[in-house]
Amino acid sequence: MRVRLMAIVMLSAACTQKPDAIVVAEEESVQQDLSGVGKLLLSDYGFFKGPLSRLEPAEHVFAYTLNSPLFSDYAFKKRFIYIPEGAHASYHASEVLDFPEGTVLIKNFYYPADFNKPEHDHRLLETRLLLVQKGEWKALTYVWNDTQTQAHLEVAGRTMPVQWRHSDGTLRKVNYSVPSINQCKGCHLKGNKVMPIGPTARQLNAKLPGADVSQLVQWQHDGILKNLPELRLVPRLAVYEDSTEPLAARARAWLEVNCAHCHRPDGPAKTSGLHLLADVAEGNVLGIGKAPVAAGKGSGGRLYGIVPGKPDQSILQYRIESTHPGIMMPELGRTLVHEEGVALVREWIKSMK
Amino acid sequence: MRNIVRLFSAALIMLLLGCNTAAPPRTWQSIEKSLQTQLITAADGDTVSLPEGNFMFTKSLTMDGKKNILIRGQGMNKTILSWKNQTEGAEGLHISNGINIVLEDFSVEDAKGDNLKVNDSRGITFRRIRSVWADGPKTENGAYALYPVLCKNVLMEECIAMGSSDAGIYVGQSDSVIIRNNKAYWNVAGIEAENSKYVEIYGNEAYNNTGGLLVFDLPGLTTYGHTARVYNNYIHDNNHENFAQKGNVVASIPPGSGMMILATHNIEIFDNRIEDNRSVGVAVVSYELVAALNEGEQEQANAIGGVQTVNNRFREDTLYNAFPYDVTIRDNHFKNSHWFPTLQSDIGKLLLAKSFMNPPDILYDGIENPKRKDRNICIAEAADITFINLDAANKFKNLSKDKTAFACAGAQASR
Repeated sequence: MRVRLMAIVMLSAACTQKPDAIVVAEEESVQQDLSGVGKLLLSDYGFFKGPLSRLEPAEHVFAYTLNSPLFSDYAFKKRFIYIPEGAHASYHASEVLDFPEGTVLIKNFYYPADFNKPEHDHRLLETRLLLVQKGEWKALTYVWNDTQTQAHLEVAGRTMPVQWRHSDGTLRKVNYSVPSINQCKGCHLKGNKVMPIGPTARQLNAKLPGADVSQLVQWQHDGILKNLPELRLVPRLAVYEDSTEPLAARARAWLEVNCAHCHRPDGPAKTSGLHLLADVAEGNVLGIGKAPVAAGKGSGGRLYGIVPGKPDQSILQYRIESTHPGIMMPELGRTLVHEEGVALVREWIKSMK
Repeated sequence: MRNIVRLFSAALIMLLLGCNTAAPPRTWQSIEKSLQTQLITAADGDTVSLPEGNFMFTKSLTMDGKKNILIRGQGMNKTILSWKNQTEGAEGLHISNGINIVLEDFSVEDAKGDNLKVNDSRGITFRRIRSVWADGPKTENGAYALYPVLCKNVLMEECIAMGSSDAGIYVGQSDSVIIRNNKAYWNVAGIEAENSKYVEIYGNEAYNNTGGLLVFDLPGLTTYGHTARVYNNYIHDNNHENFAQKGNVVASIPPGSGMMILATHNIEIFDNRIEDNRSVGVAVVSYELVAALNEGEQEQANAIGGVQTVNNRFREDTLYNAFPYDVTIRDNHFKNSHWFPTLQSDIGKLLLAKSFMNPPDILYDGIENPKRKDRNICIAEAADITFINLDAANKFKNLSKDKTAFACAGAQASR
């Protein structure tokens, strides 16, 4: 009797199995030779002295900061630059500074367990490098091990589950995505060449915590930056997190850093006709009263990029608030909505007349 | 014990009888990380071998800036790459900035956007690739099954494309292209060459699409097309309902279109078998007609993939010629067992009204280029083929079935 029952159970189980339930066997890890891509270990570069995870800069390695950082699913970032002994960067008023052969930009991504205690209990996830070799930039990323003693070269990308207590006290989590080398190019290509995005004069025109002078002045003093004009002539991007700065400047800084690596006259999104660098005048090109070109369902049925005073009728607001892969902006680098950022843009659009 | 065996056997038989409609479930494996790593580390001249099996991917698989690479599977029925579980990126396999890249003997399935995209590459071969959306035609399917764009020296042969919500075997903005011996069915457009020059399309079979074979030139793109030879193809039963996203250019193709030549020039169409397409065998039309058919539609594009949408501002593109010219249609074999054009489209209804019980073998929209009277569109076909000149610019006032004005000078039909 029991056997018969079992047979029937088997039968019905087999018949009700959903045809589209896809079960994928886990991938076997295969050792692949990556030595042709770059150094295999982060420690091979000697950027840091002492225990690696303390990120204590070695000689010729300098900590730096940006006024307004890109949103990367709430990851914290610690930035360093390595400039070979005797070499120096040259000032540029609007583009990324002209860095010498051998420069490495070093960006460490981490999450504190509690965002209200950011100095404690870090988990380092990855360290991304941009290196200039024979005049060409290349992007590499190193993924930290669980014991935080080493980071290994990763070329194909991977997903890492992370959780933290947010600044509002809630527990948050995300499947943090480490990009593949090819995905790095998705943001860093200018024409067909890899280029840094962050270190422009206006982003670097900032003071490191505890410093008295702009880090550009410090760099000049350290001999790693030449041709710096008088500081009052150097542009400065607003700090979007600083509520004492003017609302429009903060919103424009947020848009520049999150959108303008593509949405600029020479960027991959040039075909859209929407340019979001912070110095673009308020008008059609900034999206005000501008109809979409190829937004498709990304328009959400809204008619214009920005409708002054009406964030809920603005396509721009719709897309930065989305997490749908075919709708969300930016397309890469986030899976979450940057709540503080979209609230800022919302306030700005609301304030527009 | 014997009882148990018997019961189990009975259950097994019942199981087979009861569920025999479902195909045996595929077992899926992952080679995502190792294959992506291989595509990043591949050196000049490498062969990347894809093993036999069903492989599931969650992100676009990408290869950029490589030279002389062969990516080879074990056969289109043996090596299956699927993006059914895709969470990142729009394309399935995406190759960019390559030189001499050969892809052969595997299947690509179910990407969120385009299944297999290749851009900005010189020397790209697709050989025995099957690219499909496995659940059949659906508007949510990706746009292009095989999608070389902005390439030079393209060869697509013995491939199969199915389920594209835009075009199956597609080439766009490319130079020097051979599309031969492929099969396309259940796509909106079976085979399409768009804004490409020096294109040979021969030996293909396109059936059960909305439109079988298209040669298009569209406004506002990086480059314009011309010069294509289309021969020895079998274009039949392209009567599928149009499931393209509204606003896309192909959404205006009437179901039942065999071939469509849109706004391009220096085109030769010969020795094809064109059968049982319910609306029209070969249509030669201008962009004016497409724009008119789409009037009132909001201009839009599917943000996933780079589909071409109807451009209502095409007259602002001063380098663009919206009218077809220098088109020769000769020595084709036409047959149509359908009595009525399909009613699924405005053109179908129009044809039913104007050409009752006789869908035309060849249709010309008759919209003249005001800047160029000499269109040089000529037809050398058997005397009994049906022809219609819509005179669409004048509300069909001078609609005509007389093709004498389109006879080829000198060149004669060979049969």
